[in-house]
Amino acid sequence: MGPTMATLAVRRRDRSVPVAAILLALPLGVILFFFVVAPLISVVAVSFFRYDNFAVIPGFTLENYQSVLTSGLTVSLYLEMIKLAFLTWACTLVIGFCVAYFLVFHVRSKLIAIALFLLCTVPFWTSNIIRMISWLPLLGKQGVINQALMAVGVIHKPLQFLLYSDFSVVVSYVHLFTIFMIVPLFNAMSRIDPALFEAALDAGAGRFKTMKMVVLPMCKSGVVLGSVFVVTLVMGDFYVVKIMSGGGSASVVSAMVDDISTLLFPHAAASAVILLIVLTVVIAGILRLVDVRRELVGDR
Amino acid sequence: MDSTADLSRTEISEHAGAVELAGIVKRYPNGHLAVDGINLRIAGGSYCCLLGPSGCGKTTMLRMIAGHENPTEGEICIDGTDVVGQPPRLRGTAMMFQNYALFPHLSVRDNVAFSLKVRGLSRTERFREADRVIEQVQLTALANRLPLQLSGGQQQRVALARAIITQPRLLLLDEPLSALDEFLRLQMRAELKEMQQRLGITFIHVTHTQLEAVAVADQVVVMSQGRVVQSSSARGIYTEPDSAYVARFMGGQNVLSGSLESVAGGIATLTGGYAVRLIGRAPPIGKNVEFAVRRDRVHLVQAGQPGTPGVNAVTGVVRAVEYQGIFVKATLIPDLGGAEFVIYIDEGEYFQAPVGIGARATGWWNIEEAHLLQAD
Amino acid sequence: MAVTSINGGRPWTFYLLGGIFTLYVAFLYGPMVCIYVLSFQGEQGGLGFPMRGASMHWFEQLIEQGDTGDLIGAIARSLPLALLVMVVTVVISFAAGMAFRARFPGSGPLFYLVIAALVAPGYVLGIGIGLMFQLLGWDTNWYTSALGAQLSWTLPFGLLIMFAVFGRFNRSYEEAARDLGAFPLQTLRLVIVPILLPGVIAVALFGFTLSYDEFARTLQTVGSNNTVPIEIWSMTQNVTSPSIYALGTLTTALSFGVIGLSLGAIALIQRRRQGTLIK
Repeated sequence: MGPTMATLAVRRRDRSVPVAAILLALPLGVILFFFVVAPLISVVAVSFFRYDNFAVIPGFTLENYQSVLTSGLTVSLYLEMIKLAFLTWACTLVIGFCVAYFLVFHVRSKLIAIALFLLCTVPFWTSNIIRMISWLPLLGKQGVINQALMAVGVIHKPLQFLLYSDFSVVVSYVHLFTIFMIVPLFNAMSRIDPALFEAALDAGAGRFKTMKMVVLPMCKSGVVLGSVFVVTLVMGDFYVVKIMSGGGSASVVSAMVDDISTLLFPHAAASAVILLIVLTVVIAGILRLVDVRRELVGDR
Repeated sequence: MDSTADLSRTEISEHAGAVELAGIVKRYPNGHLAVDGINLRIAGGSYCCLLGPSGCGKTTMLRMIAGHENPTEGEICIDGTDVVGQPPRLRGTAMMFQNYALFPHLSVRDNVAFSLKVRGLSRTERFREADRVIEQVQLTALANRLPLQLSGGQQQRVALARAIITQPRLLLLDEPLSALDEFLRLQMRAELKEMQQRLGITFIHVTHTQLEAVAVADQVVVMSQGRVVQSSSARGIYTEPDSAYVARFMGGQNVLSGSLESVAGGIATLTGGYAVRLIGRAPPIGKNVEFAVRRDRVHLVQAGQPGTPGVNAVTGVVRAVEYQGIFVKATLIPDLGGAEFVIYIDEGEYFQAPVGIGARATGWWNIEEAHLLQAD
Repeated sequence: MAVTSINGGRPWTFYLLGGIFTLYVAFLYGPMVCIYVLSFQGEQGGLGFPMRGASMHWFEQLIEQGDTGDLIGAIARSLPLALLVMVVTVVISFAAGMAFRARFPGSGPLFYLVIAALVAPGYVLGIGIGLMFQLLGWDTNWYTSALGAQLSWTLPFGLLIMFAVFGRFNRSYEEAARDLGAFPLQTLRLVIVPILLPGVIAVALFGFTLSYDEFARTLQTVGSNNTVPIEIWSMTQNVTSPSIYALGTLTTALSFGVIGLSLGAIALIQRRRQGTLIK
């Protein structure tokens, strides 16, 4: 506890109750409770409600779950999202690792490394939707890429798969979410004691071996954190998949959007609960591999 | 253990800044006992060093006097008033932190004037005071600089100025010289001593460097594992350590031991051929007795030289010879076993009859140079 | 700790990874640059290349026209909302960051709650807040439900940054201030906040930009009037002209402005205090 806060704590010789700490953390707790916990509880509650054509009726029924779980659509949507999530995860992992490795180990000046890191981060601070639609003029049949490839003579007919396909969806995801993989990896790699690195090299380990034995184990937590972010972001998405697939594909959440637009709240709620359960299982599984609090808050 | 007897002053001064610690215990919630019962008196206006290895409790002790931590038990009296529970602000103390803790966002002048600012003094008033103190530490030309633009020695002076502007009666220094390189350290410690004498207030200076402590302090308090082992004047600690621990810690002595064989005329004879003058009552025959011999009062000769005394001597193989400029440090591995025996020989004297590594040599001393140690 | 090859030069992996890095940056910025260029599309031009002349036509369309919905109104809501979120995020994250320096009862669960807020699918949370307000009989509004929804996204970021910032903060500054006689509030005002100012600016940056661009959580909670991202969204459904690119350019220019200001301020402070720009 900081010295400043220690004086605000109730003092008994040298024991103290952290009154000040609790008060300071209270606003955060209250807001998050009201805007995260309570809404999720509401979703769970509504998932059990009935509905008719006009209104939602409080009650208890399992027919929403029945409808969602037995629908073939649900299964196919999940399969689709899992496929997309996996592809995105693989790409962001490879790119993220290369970028983080380059910035931490190959850039000599720390100042330039940070500048380059910021360069990668700046787009994150701009609108996702704009970034997404900025691919449209590039990937279309008359888009820049096709025109360029044809001009150079690599292809003779425009490539169809570039836009309104799984390819464009994954490209968009990678464009938007790689930063979530880069940051934890950059963090983890920066913490590696340079002396370890040099000792390994001195001992004759080639660079690949050093990377395998020194860098990879230390990055485990970074990989885990980044993976959690990327997977949840992909599986929770509803607009990228809709736009970039031209309406051809849907996602679990975009199906929810459709429900909501027709006021089928209980059905959407049931769908949401199931998604949350799936995500929780996935995340819990991933988090078993690392102590997240230690990673983010630091050793105490 | 009450240790006032060895103070160079024969009375506890009524000066500002006299400190008295009674029964101080510090136990942390996790059970760790940092300070285990300390009784100590520090005369007002003196320079006192708390000396000991890491973890001995000296910094904890300092922080408790400052008011940054509270003792679990015991009293801390400054000029006769118990200050336990009082915040630092009210104690009339000021602390100089180990890395100086100069506020990086404030200039030298703002740093020094900080304590006046929080007391509500106006800008003109506090800058005037600050400039006066900055002049005392000779940093007037740098008053507008930020801490990072200063050298280590300059930062220390700023930290000092910042601490003394409130006219404390007691200045607490937490390893003030550790962050400096060797050369600067010697220079700055002279400045600290000079500042203390000029101000006339009590300095309590925590350090783990023995020679630093004896260089500046009027009173040296050796601590180990949360207790005071010995509190004496600098000379007293160095030449007359009470215990084997202090003798070894201060580094200028060899510690030897033997069982008591006989006592005659105030002289105890021990196994191993040692004789040492007794202080007080003789221990029982057969008891293991320890004594210390100053390293620089031992004579070094080749083993087997005619005329080498047989008693009060250690013979063995020379393990190392280190040239230290003013003296040569020779280390013997005693034939009879035990700890290494170290001799400091005057440099000129050594080179008249050098003894090389691997040679057999004898170090001998006069009985007057042996000093009996109390049991730990 | 750059890797070097035996002769002290760059190993081949430098060029490989450097190449990948360059491609990634091109990949990141390329499409956005296309949009900026296309927003200056000539009057006869369509949504894609080639450019048929260059003009400010679509910008004019954007500002005057009704086919873009209520753009001015959306901006008039997005900006104040973003500023409000920014301020609230800074204050609450800073406070919570100070609190988390100790282990207080409930700090564990609170931390996991923060992580949950971060990874929960935005749209689901949006639905949840909308439903909750409905159940409570309240109207959703940009300054109540949308504010809360956006805070659930910005506060975790703010808190994580504060963790990093407080982690590097040397407590002896606080003790020194206390030793010199400062009361806790004085220490906070005169020492802690000024020293941590770069971190505070970073949190403000995140708070503003994340709110301004926030879409999924806001969609269900904003009530009857849109924010800019939602306007953009409805434009993607309805509009088939480069005016949507014009909007993209404008809104990104605003974002870049805010980003530039913040990063510039941080760089300035660091340079002044630490002599270099290195964190």
